[in-house]
Amino acid sequence: MSTDEKFFAWLDGELEGAEAAEMAARVESDPELSSLAGQHRALQATMKRAFDGVATAPLPEQLRKAVSSAPSNVVDFGEKRERRLRPRLFGGLPQWAMVAATLVLGIFVGTLVPGRDGSPVQIHDGRLYAASSLDHALTSELASAPAGGAIRIGLTFRDSGGAICRSFSGAATGLACRDDGHWRVRGLFPAGEGQQADYRMAAGMNPNLAALVGATMAGEPMDAAQERTARDRGWR
Amino acid sequence: MDSQPTFEDQLVTLLPRLRRFAFSLSRSPADADDLAQAAVERAIRSRDQWSPGTRLDSWMYRIMRNLWIDTARSRARKEKFEAPPDEANSVGTDGAVHASTELGQVMAAMQRLPEEQREVISLILIEGFGYREAAELLDLPIGTISSRLVRGRTALLGLVSER
Repeated sequence: MSTDEKFFAWLDGELEGAEAAEMAARVESDPELSSLAGQHRALQATMKRAFDGVATAPLPEQLRKAVSSAPSNVVDFGEKRERRLRPRLFGGLPQWAMVAATLVLGIFVGTLVPGRDGSPVQIHDGRLYAASSLDHALTSELASAPAGGAIRIGLTFRDSGGAICRSFSGAATGLACRDDGHWRVRGLFPAGEGQQADYRMAAGMNPNLAALVGATMAGEPMDAAQERTARDRGWR
Repeated sequence: MDSQPTFEDQLVTLLPRLRRFAFSLSRSPADADDLAQAAVERAIRSRDQWSPGTRLDSWMYRIMRNLWIDTARSRARKEKFEAPPDEANSVGTDGAVHASTELGQVMAAMQRLPEEQREVISLILIEGFGYREAAELLDLPIGTISSRLVRGRTALLGLVSER
């Protein structure tokens, strides 16, 4: 470090201990150096004062907006997924859809059960459970890896009681939740009833089923990894 | 749960300092605000490259400094063939930095320093970084920082006291 550099390092508080003390003594005993120190301190004060005016001035609107309107990356994945999903599933769906879903269930089940071989549902103790192909699909299929069967799995999620529920569509359309080691059917809807094919495609889910899912789901639907883990743990 | 300030919160807090740094590098308030704007936009685009827990201010200063170098170089090439621009006397933009002769004068004086001295003066004398911090920020040996600082401030003393 040259003498000049040492002098300025001292002025900037970058020297320590003996070095600092030595330079301080030199400056004190040398009027020229003292004067130079004074001039540079004044220069820095002038610069600081002038530019600090910028830091204390109101910010340009555009600059603040650049930060506040920035898309946030820190939104957790679940929240993003939920936001994407909710408007599509439940947006604008009226309350009566839920009521209708219950009515449809009663009428429809009457035509489907009991006693038909291969029926996707069975009644046990007055309760409706998944059977045959539906039971198989609910137990073994993953929405993330569709097997191409007659029944497709839609969403997997937990209800407010913590039971895992899965929606399904295809040969049978509805919602079933885990109950004592079985899939208890919470809703069953005639596929395609009351909706146009193109609407079904656009909406992605039977609106009656969507209403039932919306009313049953607590929290967020599972992602592919969570779905797989849930299956491996026996849907508990 | 400990809630750490978000990237946006920290960035907003930094804005006044970043803008000051932009003014000390640039030749006019308009250029400075353009630079600050561009730096913030670039930071937001590349926010994944910032590791939380490290200093956001150093990271932001580095982004702005690199942008400034890029802009200065492309302008230097262009201006070889054009008339020189107005000096930095027209302070007072929409950000309400009102005309201050002092600011205009120090900006003009800074403009007469070579870029590599100006950035060192800005970081150490105005922004308050230590020599070592400035060296890390600029990726330079500390001795280079120290010698540029001596040359820059010595020239600046002459320029500012001339007025």
